Amino acid sequence: MLPFFALLKKIIQTGIGKGRLLMATLGLGIAMLLLLVAIQAHTDFNQLLYSGKNQNESADFLVINKKITNAMMGQPEKSMFTPEEMDKIRQQPFVEAAGFIISSQFKVTAAAPGDLQFYTDMFFESVPDSFIDVQNEAWEWKEGERSIPIILPNDFLNLYNFGFALSQGLPQVSQETVKNLPVKITISKGLLSAEFTGRIAGFSDRISSFLVPASFMEWANERFGSGAAAAPSRVVIRTRDPSNPTLVKFLEDNGYTTNQDKVKYSKTKLIVQTIVSVIGFFGLVLLLFALLVFSMFIQLVIASCKREIQLLVMLGTGPGQLRRYLLRQFAPLYLVTGVAALVLVALLQWGASRMLAAHAMYVSAWPGAGTLVAAVVVLLLVYLVNNRSIRKYIAQNS
Amino acid sequence: MQIELSHLVPLPLRDKLQQRPSDIWNKELSFAPGSFVKIKAPSGSGKTTLVHYLYHIRNDYTGQVLVNGQPWQAYDKETLAAMRQQQVSIIFQDLRLFEQLTALENIELKRLMLPRPYCTQEKVLEMAERLQVTHVLPQSGRTLSYGERQRIAIIRALVQPFRWLFMDEPFSHLDDDNAQRAADLIAAECKGRQAGFILTDLDNDHRFAYDVNYHL
Repeated sequence: MLPFFALLKKIIQTGIGKGRLLMATLGLGIAMLLLLVAIQAHTDFNQLLYSGKNQNESADFLVINKKITNAMMGQPEKSMFTPEEMDKIRQQPFVEAAGFIISSQFKVTAAAPGDLQFYTDMFFESVPDSFIDVQNEAWEWKEGERSIPIILPNDFLNLYNFGFALSQGLPQVSQETVKNLPVKITISKGLLSAEFTGRIAGFSDRISSFLVPASFMEWANERFGSGAAAAPSRVVIRTRDPSNPTLVKFLEDNGYTTNQDKVKYSKTKLIVQTIVSVIGFFGLVLLLFALLVFSMFIQLVIASCKREIQLLVMLGTGPGQLRRYLLRQFAPLYLVTGVAALVLVALLQWGASRMLAAHAMYVSAWPGAGTLVAAVVVLLLVYLVNNRSIRKYIAQNS
Repeated sequence: MQIELSHLVPLPLRDKLQQRPSDIWNKELSFAPGSFVKIKAPSGSGKTTLVHYLYHIRNDYTGQVLVNGQPWQAYDKETLAAMRQQQVSIIFQDLRLFEQLTALENIELKRLMLPRPYCTQEKVLEMAERLQVTHVLPQSGRTLSYGERQRIAIIRALVQPFRWLFMDEPFSHLDDDNAQRAADLIAAECKGRQAGFILTDLDNDHRFAYDVNYHL
């Protein structure tokens, strides 16, 4: 400490109202803790929802269809999406992209090669290529090619391996094996038919359907279909946040339905957001009170040393010197408080990350950048408010 | 540093002052830098008031105190503080020491107020030795006698750089010997800085070689 400040310390007693200062500091500490915890909880929750580690790939894509009710049975046009409805979906803020799922208008049969004795009727669907994550040459089809890439739903392979194969005494197959298995695909409409070799290009959780490239579907529907473009009954949308409560509400309001699993976070998120907001709000209120008490404390200290301060100024002490001295008395206090709150949050975060990791949920072991920024901002705010009160009361008393 | 008085009249003494002549009040007056000025004044004629106006801790007057051509009011608080640290110094009649500090700390407070002190602590001890107050330096300001306080206040005023030193009955509590020792020290320090002083007192005295004498 400057020797001059050491002498000032004997004149300007900051020991007065220690209880008040302690309360203000405690209040500031708790306020900071609440604020930081709220911000950190928000960061963590977002991390749990969106970060790559916690996310399965389907989180970004939702397949939407209308609810099939008893009244609609036998009227397939009622489950179709009209162009107006489609436009409405596209205009929603949470929809980043939307595309039809186009069904095949022809018969499809698949047969396994060799003596696997596998033969089945099936169907194809296609979505715009931008919704497919197998984005390479494996997912391309040009007219004239005899081989079609196909994406299977993961569920399908599971059903086969664990349901069908076991009960029928058939061999279970791995994804790799399936990918190397050429499947004989026959598509037909009446007497017209064509044969292709199906090549499994990948497996998807996103869309539970047998997908072929859009180019193939277009060609085949034109060649083997009715010729008229069919209205889509399923729509796939890409969204940043499938748990967005507004999205869930939109679906409900319009009588649409989707894979409920993917929107299940919506409610949890709403609850967590509310709790986090309430905590943050209390933190803010407490912070305001702490600032108020700090200001009052500074006023008290300066008022109680009014005579001494006047004499100091008379002897030539600059108001700036007095301000610097007083700030130095308080600044370490709230700097320590801030650092303590930050350390506590870091400890909590570390503990939380370990506990969550045990449940295969991964959050960073360190407080987020937002939390650090918030801590700095709060400290800056306290500094500015204190500086202002010191300036004000020194000016009043000198 | 130029100090001028322009028709300075203290508001509380206005009526009283109209009834008698004065060399200072309501006059146009300039103090030459570096000169030793004595202002003799009877009690109640506004001696302390004048010193406070000169040092700018009171401003209940009409007219102006001009410092380097500018009225005191034109200086902001920080500039004023800087001037009190480096241009003007004062010995108050009521001494104004901090009772919660020791005698030495009272002097050090003023010396260390400047980030680069004007004189060393050895110099302080030397001045204390000359004024024979070395033994009271560690004592609390509260326990000092008036004479001791006055000498500490004198040393305090001399540890800073200044162009003008204002003194308000600086020897009122000192015997002749001590007063002369203090006066010699003050004169030497002023000469060393090529600074002037303005001293107010009740009586005539020959402790300094005054350049100018005024009657208040």
